[in-house]
Amino acid sequence: MNKTPTPRTQVSHRVRRFLRRTLAVSRKEVAHVSRDPMTLYVALGLPVVLLLIFGYGISFDLDRSPLAVVDYDRTPVSRNLRESLTSSGEFLLAATPDSADDVDSWFRKNEVSSALVIPPGFAANLAAARSAPLQILLDGSDGSKAGGVMGTMSALLRNWAAGIAGPAAASPIEARVTLLYNPGLKSSIFFVPGLMAFILAIAGVLLTALTVAREEEQGNLEQLFATPVGRLDVVLGKLLPYLAMGIVQALLVLAVGAVAFDLPLAGSPFLLAAGTLLFLVAVLSQGLFISVIAHSQQVATQIGALSSLLPSLLLSGFLFPVERMPMPLQVIASIFPSRYFVTFLRGVLLKGSGFSVLWPNLLAMAVFSVLVLAIATKRFRRRVA
Amino acid sequence: MESTPIAVVSGLKHHFGATLALNGMSFEVGPGQLYGLVGPDGAGKTTTVRALAGLLEANEGTVRIDGLDPLEPGSGVRERLGYMPQRYGLYRDLSVDENLQFFGDLFCLDRKTFNQRRERLLGITRLAAFGDRRADALSGGMYKKLALACALLHQPSLLLLDEPTNGVDPVSRGELWDLLADFMSQGMAILVTTSYMDEAARCSMVGLAFRGRLVLEGRPADLVAGFSDVVLRVEPASPEGMEALESALVQAGDVVEAVTPLGSGLRIVVQGGEADRVAADLEAAGANVRRLTPGFEDLFLSRAAREPGGEAT
Amino acid sequence: MSDAIIQCRNLGRSFGDFHAVRDVSFEVPQGEIFGYLGANGAGKSTTIRILCGLLAPTTGTALVAGFDVAKDPEAVKRHIGYMSQKFSLYTDLTVAENLDFFGGAYGLSGRRLRDSIDKVIEEVGLQDHRRAMTSSLPGGRQQRVALANALLHDPRILFLDEPTAGVDPAARREFLSLVRRRVATGVTVFLTTHYLDEAEYCRRVGLMVAGHLAVLGTPAELKAAHAPGEIRILHGNSALLGAAVRPLPGVHAVQSLGGGIRVRVDATHLPAVLSAARNVAPSLQVEVAEPTLDDVFLAVVQGGLG
Repeated sequence: MNKTPTPRTQVSHRVRRFLRRTLAVSRKEVAHVSRDPMTLYVALGLPVVLLLIFGYGISFDLDRSPLAVVDYDRTPVSRNLRESLTSSGEFLLAATPDSADDVDSWFRKNEVSSALVIPPGFAANLAAARSAPLQILLDGSDGSKAGGVMGTMSALLRNWAAGIAGPAAASPIEARVTLLYNPGLKSSIFFVPGLMAFILAIAGVLLTALTVAREEEQGNLEQLFATPVGRLDVVLGKLLPYLAMGIVQALLVLAVGAVAFDLPLAGSPFLLAAGTLLFLVAVLSQGLFISVIAHSQQVATQIGALSSLLPSLLLSGFLFPVERMPMPLQVIASIFPSRYFVTFLRGVLLKGSGFSVLWPNLLAMAVFSVLVLAIATKRFRRRVA
Repeated sequence: MESTPIAVVSGLKHHFGATLALNGMSFEVGPGQLYGLVGPDGAGKTTTVRALAGLLEANEGTVRIDGLDPLEPGSGVRERLGYMPQRYGLYRDLSVDENLQFFGDLFCLDRKTFNQRRERLLGITRLAAFGDRRADALSGGMYKKLALACALLHQPSLLLLDEPTNGVDPVSRGELWDLLADFMSQGMAILVTTSYMDEAARCSMVGLAFRGRLVLEGRPADLVAGFSDVVLRVEPASPEGMEALESALVQAGDVVEAVTPLGSGLRIVVQGGEADRVAADLEAAGANVRRLTPGFEDLFLSRAAREPGGEAT
Repeated sequence: MSDAIIQCRNLGRSFGDFHAVRDVSFEVPQGEIFGYLGANGAGKSTTIRILCGLLAPTTGTALVAGFDVAKDPEAVKRHIGYMSQKFSLYTDLTVAENLDFFGGAYGLSGRRLRDSIDKVIEEVGLQDHRRAMTSSLPGGRQQRVALANALLHDPRILFLDEPTAGVDPAARREFLSLVRRRVATGVTVFLTTHYLDEAEYCRRVGLMVAGHLAVLGTPAELKAAHAPGEIRILHGNSALLGAAVRPLPGVHAVQSLGGGIRVRVDATHLPAVLSAARNVAPSLQVEVAEPTLDDVFLAVVQGGLG
């Protein structure tokens, strides 16, 4: 620098140096990852494996669930109801006892897992537009299975009722609202958005949680901090390669979802890309923050796994609806970006909702990212203990 | 050496919890000086170096490099500083070339300058043939030389080396010290810490550190010349003569400050004025007595013993 | 057969293609302090692990206290004490608890164990620290606890693997005195160390280079054989002096010091070296120094004796 720098060249000089250092950190990070097959496996293999396991494993779809029907009504209407339940393949008509008292023995022999009792006068009640109660008996010994049977049957009953009496007819049984946007009753489609949030959260947090902690553990940070490299250089330089990897992951998960589970994209692909990018930045920031506070790879892995797995699995709406949780859990759930991303994905993928509906979710993820990244940079002390 | 000092450490005090790591550490390192901060583990050497590298804010005292505070971000102090930590600071899964490139980028060296310096440093460290080798596949001595090259890429005016020879075999140790002597004669200011007392002789200036401060400072030759005690090698005429020798030593009493085994005999440190008398007594007890050059360990122990609570163990 | 307490013949150990130790033969008579030196990776630890019955040799034989390390490693272990650089103490147990545990591991119990513990604790001077938590002791005291541990079962041979690494000089001297007192009772000591000055304490020294035992002898013999000549320290500008002296005939080694050079030169060539030095440094100060095992080590390694 022979010339006296003007303020302007000084600024551009500083920006150039900042970029140079950030890219140097990024390039180094890419070299680390490319030399560590475990990282690549976690990044690219794990999402696909998880998606396939969960996608097929968590299916709540029923396949030929044995059903007993006790028909006291014995009218064409009641026969029609019985057939419509069993024709779809979800239920198999396993027994037709004459009396509800006999149902119990079928359950005990484990030969049926549900029973429908159609009372006398059912058809007459329907025809008169009166309330037409039905009785459903479930094997409560397997709670989740019973829930699945219950959900499926009530949906089938609603459909049937609508077909017979028109949409205005009162439903005999309360139907679950959540099945509304999944007309084929395929639970896997409904789970893919949740799974995607789950996978990206785990992989994103775990990958970055290790990076700073590893450098601290191996003594690299001590060397690094004696150079002119800035905290932001390191933080951004580390974020960029993992962001690129996260984008590949997201595309991979969407592709597998589309091929294996017929995942639709009802909304705008640009909105989908923007939301996914925001979520990636959010989880990577979370990982970086953990890495900065953890000081060792072991602690970083534990905090990383807990803080990504639990919220995205249990508090995101993936498995259990957040709205039905107790208040304190709802508050905790609202901290983590997973729940916003799940809502966002369901909106953009399944319902085709637009920005005007989904923006609060995007805003929440952006706020989370900025806050966490700021705290991480601030806590990233250029000191050694 | 009357030139302006590059590194100034004055009155550093620092605690880690209840442990007093630094207790008034002060010294200066000038250009063309190879300053050895010599002392046992726990003397505060690493803490001092970290304070100079801007990695630690001491509770009390000041540190300046070219008049700049290493803790001040953006003061340009880091561009003047080369640091080689005691722990492995390089990236083990990166190659020799990749490590050099990374640190060259952090210091924003342009391509031409970088290539020139890289060639030169790989040449003098004799690592040119190992550019593609991963750092974790280098021997201990080669690794240290690579770390040295990385710390020198930006041509710092002050080089900080924390225990560079620890765990390095004697051949590589010799090579490292020869390199440092070269840099020193080119005008660089170098601060080296070591727990090998005998390495003090390799420095142009020595500070003996004990319990967080210096107990002795000076040019190595002056320090040895100023040592008033006398070191003797005492060998019994036959192995059976050892007992007579030991009882003679016990009789000599407090004037004998240290007794250590040496081969089949003993090495003893005697107070200067009493040396001739003790030697005569031991010879009378049938021993073969020879005078040895005192080492820095003798100096250190003699000084440390005079410190309050100085019996180190 | 000699009556040496350690006898190695053509000892070798390879790990795959890597020959960590090859064709090593030596004997250590009872009551000797034997120093085993070498760089990291030269085969010191592998040798010590073979001799302690922890690792079987791939070639050759070793008898320790009369037992074959390959055929009867358990008998070997009963007669030796082993102390490593990383003192294998439980730092969250007290001194006495550590000794109690390790004594139990050697099969001592009851009155014999208590007597042994009392004896070694007194021997290493830690009577007042029996109930101290091991982690609270400074490095030098922990080292003495580790030594006490290795002495509990009254071994005939003591293997010390870099026992003084990272311990301050006063503690180091104290430790070596303790070891020497045991040697005076007839115990044999096999010591590896990084500190070549420490090897001066040994009666005989073996130097390992790349798996070979390159040289073996008393420190004085080794210096005479491998570091011949006169040693002088020439005070002045090290770069100038080095350049002037290095190319001269008869100069074996030149080391740069902070304020001069250290040169090893044949006696006949010494005057020429001094006059060359005076040419660049008219008021040359000359100091006579003695050869060290460092000189031996450098000469052996650089001379390709390995």
